[in-house]
Amino acid sequence: MGTLLYTYQYTEAEMRPIPSVVVDRSSPEPVYVQIARSIRARICSGEIASGTPLAPVRTVASDLGVNLNTVARAYRLLEDEGFVQIRSRSGVEVAPPAGKSDREAVERLQEDLAAVLARMRQAGVAPAELRRRAEKEIGAIERLE
Amino acid sequence: MTPRLFLILSIVEAASIGGVFLLYPQITRHGLLFGVYVGEEAASGAEARRITRSWYRGMIAWIAASVIVGAVLGAAIPHPAVAVAPALFLVPGFFILYLRAYGQARRIAHPGAPPGVAVVTETSAPSSVFPPIALAVALACGLFAIAYSWSAYDLLPERVPTHFGISGAPDAFRPKSFFTVMLSPLLALIVGVGIGGVAWLTAHAKRSFRYPASLTSVTAQIRFRLAVTRLLCWVSLIVSLFLTVMSVSMIRVGLGREQTLSPAVWVLAPVLLLGTLGGVVYIAVRYGQGGARLEDAASGGRLTDGLADNRHWVLGMFYVNREDPSILVEHRFGLGYTLNLGNWKAVALVGGFVLALLILALAALVTM
Repeated sequence: MGTLLYTYQYTEAEMRPIPSVVVDRSSPEPVYVQIARSIRARICSGEIASGTPLAPVRTVASDLGVNLNTVARAYRLLEDEGFVQIRSRSGVEVAPPAGKSDREAVERLQEDLAAVLARMRQAGVAPAELRRRAEKEIGAIERLE
Repeated sequence: MTPRLFLILSIVEAASIGGVFLLYPQITRHGLLFGVYVGEEAASGAEARRITRSWYRGMIAWIAASVIVGAVLGAAIPHPAVAVAPALFLVPGFFILYLRAYGQARRIAHPGAPPGVAVVTETSAPSSVFPPIALAVALACGLFAIAYSWSAYDLLPERVPTHFGISGAPDAFRPKSFFTVMLSPLLALIVGVGIGGVAWLTAHAKRSFRYPASLTSVTAQIRFRLAVTRLLCWVSLIVSLFLTVMSVSMIRVGLGREQTLSPAVWVLAPVLLLGTLGGVVYIAVRYGQGGARLEDAASGGRLTDGLADNRHWVLGMFYVNREDPSILVEHRFGLGYTLNLGNWKAVALVGGFVLALLILALAALVTM
């Protein structure tokens, strides 16, 4: 009966995937961390380009059915990491990579990178595989430049 | 009214209201069954079809019973008020059959919590300009009606017309008091602004997508929400105009400047009734509940969060989620939106509106 009454024909543009965040409430990871991680991954993969405005806190919180503060906290975390810029009037938008590197921040992140690589090694990833994976990620970043 | 006219009225009334109820399963979003999220596979399964068939059988029998009740009562008691009998008989039957189907659907409810999904980039959601316009018009109409009635208060005679016959001439008079004169304009303000406010809230209602999210689901949601918003704005506009014209017209008859109500009242009333009914049918057929009819054409994803989380729904009708900042959410079974009863703002808004109407009704009863 559904198709007898009305069938809507979608355009190709309307069929394409759309950047979204997914939250698993049964996960022990806090919801704001899941939101931040999801957005960060989409920015890093180029799915969300720099300069793209992000949905307002209220819209995302309503879509997910979570507290406003949870989404605001995720946005603040991404701002601290340099992935987004929060402007009071025009909302939140994806920030471009910084033109000049901040020496202190780079040193701190270098430590994080060393820690991640060490954890991967501990998880049983061989050094050659580690190199391959790191190069894959660097390649992905270079393609976005 | 003749018995034949009652029979025709009963058939039309029961068929149109019952017909909308009957077809609810046809417009429900895929994955939901009588207010329960059962999952997309189970919603197409044999058990779901059995429950739905049982619903159709029950509703058709009840609609037929409503027509008979309307016709018999109409023949026995020839009073216009009896015309609402089929609807009054139909509604409890609808709820009884719904609760039976809900109980059966609970047995195949989807377990666990669904994932929450949000679209993080700004979609090209058209920010509807209609709700602010509808609110402004409702406010202007209401204030104009109040000002006009108040300015004429001293000029009105000691007894004012309070009821009008089908010809538009007054057939009941009461002693002049604040509420006999001001009830109609106050109603114009409260009802017009109330419906306009609901339209504004609808424009910001919660969206429930399918995952993996695609624009099909998002577009369907946005189009449905916009259509409902526009319909509510239109209703707010016509109701405001109708009640304002009615108020001004009543005062003019009271002052002796006119003998009958303005002909505009007889134009606006059917426009309101037929336009609203037509709008509801159009949205149901074209969009389906929550854009279900647009989605089904292309989307195969799973429903997420709000609509799919059985833990937040009481009897499949009442949404209660304290964490969710949304005020309005989609009905699981039916057409349009319902309140998030876990949000104090939603409860306060509706409570305030109902309280205002109650105070008005009680004050009118006491003073009239």
